[in-house]
Amino acid sequence: MKKLIVLAMLIPMAFLLMDCGGGKPPTKMDDIPDWYLNPPMAEDAIYEAGDAAKQSMGLAKEAADARARDAISRTIEVKVSNMLKNFMQESGIGEDAEALEFTSSVSKQVSNNVLNGARIVKREMKTEGSTYHAYSLAEYNLNSLIQETVDAAKKQKALYNEAKANLSFDDLEKEIQKLEAVE
Amino acid sequence: MKYLHILLSVIFSGACLFSQTVIPDWFEELPKSPPGIQYAVGYAGKYIDQSRAREAAIHQAVTSLAKQICSRLIFEIEEFSDGRFRLLNPSFQISYDNDDIITVFNNYSAIDSSITDEGYFILIAYPDVGRPGHAGNDKTWGAKPGWTIKLPRTKRYNYGVGIVANYSSWVRAWQDADEYARFDLGKNVKLDARSIHTAERDNTFIVESKIIRQSYDEEFRNTVIISRWYDKENDTYYSLCRQPRGDNR
Repeated sequence: MKKLIVLAMLIPMAFLLMDCGGGKPPTKMDDIPDWYLNPPMAEDAIYEAGDAAKQSMGLAKEAADARARDAISRTIEVKVSNMLKNFMQESGIGEDAEALEFTSSVSKQVSNNVLNGARIVKREMKTEGSTYHAYSLAEYNLNSLIQETVDAAKKQKALYNEAKANLSFDDLEKEIQKLEAVE
Repeated sequence: MKYLHILLSVIFSGACLFSQTVIPDWFEELPKSPPGIQYAVGYAGKYIDQSRAREAAIHQAVTSLAKQICSRLIFEIEEFSDGRFRLLNPSFQISYDNDDIITVFNNYSAIDSSITDEGYFILIAYPDVGRPGHAGNDKTWGAKPGWTIKLPRTKRYNYGVGIVANYSSWVRAWQDADEYARFDLGKNVKLDARSIHTAERDNTFIVESKIIRQSYDEEFRNTVIISRWYDKENDTYYSLCRQPRGDNR
């Protein structure tokens, strides 16, 4: 009976000790894909990596993909605005004076791009306890960017030609109206 | 001891019912179809009445073929985080023409079918080509394919990969993996990406906030699920979708 009581006390203690580590195990550095830490470099492509840890594998994948593509978008074009506020104050006299200095800065980055052909070329999924940690590597071929710029320039040219043609038609109409007025 | 045996047998048979081990080879790799013909795979779980299973699998295959002919995909993902609160909100919408389903249904032919312990599988062709005699073999899943880690790169095709895990029903898991593969392909083709990142620093804290919004609304043609792979160890389902480049509207 005594042995049974000791055993009954030991089992919960063993479980408590096993649980002492607590929480999810941190990611081992060996587990992180090399391409996440050092994204590849190429002359004709931009590579950016993204990661996300979520309870759902689907959400982890979507978030990691979105973050990698967002990094690509910000690499292509980003509008940055910064604001710095400095506040200085001194109160009191002589040695009793107290100085107060407060600095705050706000940095804002806005990007808005259409990505044609920004592909997730590599993906790895790791499990950390009950969560999934997704790593995604996005690639954006610069030829797509060049093509997009050419298309945008063509569109601008087409709009300019259309506007010019409309202008010419307006002039022509004016001339006709003048002629009709003379007749 | 007797009860333990019964319990173990119940657990074992339960595991067999919910995990997928044997599949026809054309379910894992879609065979190359003759020019002008499209193939699609349908699948259904276990039914007491086999004819009901066949009906469900055919319906799945016909719907899949309609989607692969032309489907409109609307995707949006929004991620908001302000240092204290984080919200991730992806949305996926797929729509396809009902007339395509009727057209396919009236003019398809069953190429091969297979009944395994887990369910019913069927391979169909559209338009109806009679029975070209593609006899598949049942097999277990092969080794992990390269496309699950690295996206294939060819000049002729766009690709997308769908991944889902921990589903209680393998039918539902494959349906979702197939759809996510289509959406993934869409993201690889064209995406509107907008974001605002702010960092606010004072003497004590840095508060970083961001809003990421990515979306597309496009019609895609000829998006075919060409490969599937099941990772039994991690209970993860992978689908690979392919589309010839320049087949978008």
